[in-house]
Amino acid sequence: MPRKVLEELQDLSRRALVSPVTFSLLFAFALAASIVAVTGGNPLAAGEEMFTGAVTGSGLRNTLGRAIPIVGMALAVSVAFRSGIINLGGEGQMVIGGLAGTIVAIYVPGPGFLIVPLAMFTGAVVGALWALLPAYGQTRLQLPILITSLLLNYVARAITGFLVRFPLADVSVTLATTRQVPETTRMPKMPLFGGVSLSLILVILMVVGLWLVYSRTVMGYETQMAGFNMRSARYGGIDVEQRTVQVMMVAGAIGGLIGTHLIIGEALRFIDGELVLSGFAWTGLLVSLLAVNRPIPIFVTGLFFSGLQIGGLAMQRNAGVSWRLSQVLQAVVIVAVACRLVIRRRDRRPSQPVDAETAGVGEV
Amino acid sequence: MTFELELRGITKRYPGVLANDAVDLAVHPAEIHAIVGENGAGKTTLMSLLYGLFPPDEGEIFIRGEPVRFDSALDAIAAGLGMVHQSFKLFPTLNVADNVVFRQEPTRRGLIDRAAGAARVKDLAERYGLAVDPEAAVEDLPVGVLQRVEILKALYRDAQVLILDEPTAVLTPQERDQLFEVIRRLREAGRTILFITHKLGEVMAISDRVTVLRRGRAVAHLTTSETDPAEITMHMTGRAVDLDRRAPEHQSDQVVLEVGNLTVLGGHGRPVVEEADFEVRSGEIVGIAGVAGNGQSELIEALCGLRETDAGTVTLSGRDITHADVTERRRAGLAYIPEDRYGVGTTRQASVAANLMMGHHRRPGIQNKGWLDRGAVAALARRLVEVFGIKVASVSGPVETLSGGNLQKVVVSREMEHQTPLLIAEQPTRGLDIGAIEFVHGQLIEYRDRGGAVLLVSAELSEILALSTRILVMFEGHIVACLDPRKVAEPEIGLYMTGSHLENQVA
Amino acid sequence: MFEQIFDTALFDSATRAMIPILLAALGGMICERAGVFQIALEGIMLAGAFAAVAGSYLALNSGVGVMFGVAAGMLISLALAYGTVTRKGDSIVLGIALNLLAMGLTGFLLPQLFDVRGVFQHARIDGLDRIAIPGLSQIPWVGPVLFDNTILTYVALLLVPALWVFLFRTPIGLRLRGVGERPLAAETLGVSPTVYKYGAVLTSGALAGMAGAQLSLGNVVQFAENMSSGRGWVAVVAVMLGRAHPAGVLAAAALFALAEALGFRFQGNGLPVQVTDALPFVVTLIALIAARKRFARLLDLTTSA
Repeated sequence: MPRKVLEELQDLSRRALVSPVTFSLLFAFALAASIVAVTGGNPLAAGEEMFTGAVTGSGLRNTLGRAIPIVGMALAVSVAFRSGIINLGGEGQMVIGGLAGTIVAIYVPGPGFLIVPLAMFTGAVVGALWALLPAYGQTRLQLPILITSLLLNYVARAITGFLVRFPLADVSVTLATTRQVPETTRMPKMPLFGGVSLSLILVILMVVGLWLVYSRTVMGYETQMAGFNMRSARYGGIDVEQRTVQVMMVAGAIGGLIGTHLIIGEALRFIDGELVLSGFAWTGLLVSLLAVNRPIPIFVTGLFFSGLQIGGLAMQRNAGVSWRLSQVLQAVVIVAVACRLVIRRRDRRPSQPVDAETAGVGEV
Repeated sequence: MTFELELRGITKRYPGVLANDAVDLAVHPAEIHAIVGENGAGKTTLMSLLYGLFPPDEGEIFIRGEPVRFDSALDAIAAGLGMVHQSFKLFPTLNVADNVVFRQEPTRRGLIDRAAGAARVKDLAERYGLAVDPEAAVEDLPVGVLQRVEILKALYRDAQVLILDEPTAVLTPQERDQLFEVIRRLREAGRTILFITHKLGEVMAISDRVTVLRRGRAVAHLTTSETDPAEITMHMTGRAVDLDRRAPEHQSDQVVLEVGNLTVLGGHGRPVVEEADFEVRSGEIVGIAGVAGNGQSELIEALCGLRETDAGTVTLSGRDITHADVTERRRAGLAYIPEDRYGVGTTRQASVAANLMMGHHRRPGIQNKGWLDRGAVAALARRLVEVFGIKVASVSGPVETLSGGNLQKVVVSREMEHQTPLLIAEQPTRGLDIGAIEFVHGQLIEYRDRGGAVLLVSAELSEILALSTRILVMFEGHIVACLDPRKVAEPEIGLYMTGSHLENQVA
Repeated sequence: MFEQIFDTALFDSATRAMIPILLAALGGMICERAGVFQIALEGIMLAGAFAAVAGSYLALNSGVGVMFGVAAGMLISLALAYGTVTRKGDSIVLGIALNLLAMGLTGFLLPQLFDVRGVFQHARIDGLDRIAIPGLSQIPWVGPVLFDNTILTYVALLLVPALWVFLFRTPIGLRLRGVGERPLAAETLGVSPTVYKYGAVLTSGALAGMAGAQLSLGNVVQFAENMSSGRGWVAVVAVMLGRAHPAGVLAAAALFALAEALGFRFQGNGLPVQVTDALPFVVTLIALIAARKRFARLLDLTTSA
């Protein structure tokens, strides 16, 4: 028995060593270190600050706290990607849903234990409705979600910016912002590492839930098969259009939840542009790509990327190296991974295996 | 004497397969040399080696006595070889002239001299009787003309040896006759033609000499005028052919599928299937014959719910499914072995088990209130693998590692498992080896004998003749004949397939 | 009212808004013709804008700045070419990641190199001069709008007919289109898809880098974080709407630029900036809806339903 465990461990470490992810991480860190060195910093000191900043002191709490939106947005992306839908509208879904949830938390009277869930629910619904636009754009008008979802991000920015500056503005401050979320309707903190938002539980539940859906349910099976090969799925009796709409709504709902959490659990005010600037939607996208859209690896990778960012902030404070280095690191990892392997997406190979151009016979 | 082209001891191995085994081939100048063999006998591999698409493991190639080595098709072209592939290598949005002159464009002051290119093309076309408009966009041309464009491409590059890979597979008999005329003219002009086929009639009609391939080996070198189809067949198959497995009649009056005046529109709003009217009864196999592209695929897609119908009705076991979606149709009792087993029939990234459960995944027992019963899924997969003898290492392994025959077994077993009243099988044996073909045929017959109704579409007339209880012939979207295989011979079906007997419309 | 809005100043600002989009979109068009889906334009443009400012700052010369911008664009597109062509990676994944890389890298280098946050303005940065073309610039209306502009403006406008001739009248252009349409067919005739695709992607990098230089040295003389602000994505749409044809791409770019310029104008007339900022994107979406059914290929490519 122990022998078997040992063998498994050996096998696992062997696979980890040759894994493209390992290579990509090493490559990214090496590149980041050289960028720091070239721009006049000390890569070793920066690295040390990054590490200690992420896990010591308040670092662990902050890392967990930041993992909430990163993992959440990664889950939102993964749901779509797994079905072969390229939803780049996470940002807009998060911002619109977030503002809707915030409005509920600020303006709807009532006790916190009712209003907080109501705010989250509202955020989810509005996020889902926003995501419905590109979904129907694709199923009804044949507009690629990739493009429309992205363009709608800018529209969402404009809408929220307008609302926050005019009808919802807090005129007592110079910032373009809503009023502060009242204390009673904020997302509670758990007594864990000095106060981590309760939303962490929600995110963990989503991770487990999605894992169950994909591994155990008909719906998960169907979405996944549609993601692999649309024609085959349709032939097998799966309604791909309906799945597209459902999946986009789920993705939008998760985005809206996270957006609401970011205000009523963290920022407490919806400041124009803040949510966009945080870049969580995009970090989440990178996390999902690196974790190949699987829920549990997303959780692990999300924690790692969160640590990178928190550590990056510490590095900026203590070593004078901008935290944006973390962003560079994350993107480089994905570029390296994408060069090493093809992220599984829907099969678009023409029918015949021998010759990619055979499809031309009939349609030339 | 010097051969125009000679291969000596050409060998090519793939993992587990000896695709070409010490093949010798000698071709005289200005002769039409047929290379025949069954599917999988190694014809296409041999020609690809000759054309420099990949190198042989062993063996030598000589052109006019000189040893040559081709690292790419470009070398082969430079040495005077030209190949017309089975799947055309043309650029759809470019016009004929641009396709022909591609990479050897005549230029004037750095710009393409379109007039000169078109003139060259026109000149070549007229000399060899290849009627083509140089200005036409390739995407608008019918298949027969595309083939002429491919031949022009080779001639433009001054090919002395022209390799034609299964050139008649996509042609109507008229187009085929025109092609033969072109080939004869080319021979008269001193060019050498390698003609790859598995159709004996064509071998007898056009070739001067024949080389027969079987299981990767060149088993016979014959002179056409001194041989006959029976001898060639014997060399091709190594045994007497016995495709005839017509089982006793199992007459039934129970209509399973009823198609009434079905019309399906194609891409440009033209009908691709027009007023198709037929029925399939339980216990019979109805074969649909026709040259590929005469509406068979569209008819099947419409029956399966993958394509909109424009007019008419489809009734399955008494239920009107004209406008039902795929799921409803499957539930109403339809299983479907699609033509494209790679792109439609299976999902290559998914596991064998996931592919085997497609379509079964909503069945009670496999799922309960939306939760998959993973034990039941595994049991289903293991049972199908065992019963149908699918060779896989593990049902959780990816399906993309399976061979074509095994992949088709995955599709066939899964669709059989539905035990529906109606099974639609589209080109179920295309590209399979003899063993797999026999397996699939056996399954279809068993299905029929159990009282199932089978609608079979095949480009192989021999397959249609061997299996069908009734034969429908499609031509240009119409069902032009309903024939009894016991009372009809291949040539007669051929007449219907080409529309030469439109006045005799039966269906 | 109408004349108050549609005056020379409006078209002047429309021209300025159009040039970066046009340059990037022409690059994207070449990639599209070569069969590479280029969605890293946004990031390349941003990196080009940053590098152009850095180069101009270092050398006190806008020409050097433009060269820096072009080099930065080509560097990023080299990663895209390597990943998609050589490694056969996914162009969409790579494009997204490269966009984010450019965002992170410029955000990182800005404080690191110049010790500023958000916006970098400096007297050392040499902007691109407006060069009035003698004679032509005197033409009423058209003159000041088109012929009193930066060198990159003229480059962009001349590229439209030049690329038209290149794509449809030269052997290289024919081969490029062949590669994009049927790479294997091109290969059997001795035209290497790899070479052509690399060439196309690198060219698009150079053009999008130039677009960035026009943003940061032409339209303004400064670098601001994320200053490409969606223009690269608009360029991607312009390629789609313009059917990868130079004239079509020009028309699409002009449409978006006009929307942007109108936005500025309405802003001056009292509409909130948030509303006017969204105008080009709304116009883009409407144009997409109007021209739908042309995107079958992209829909296929982005593997959607």
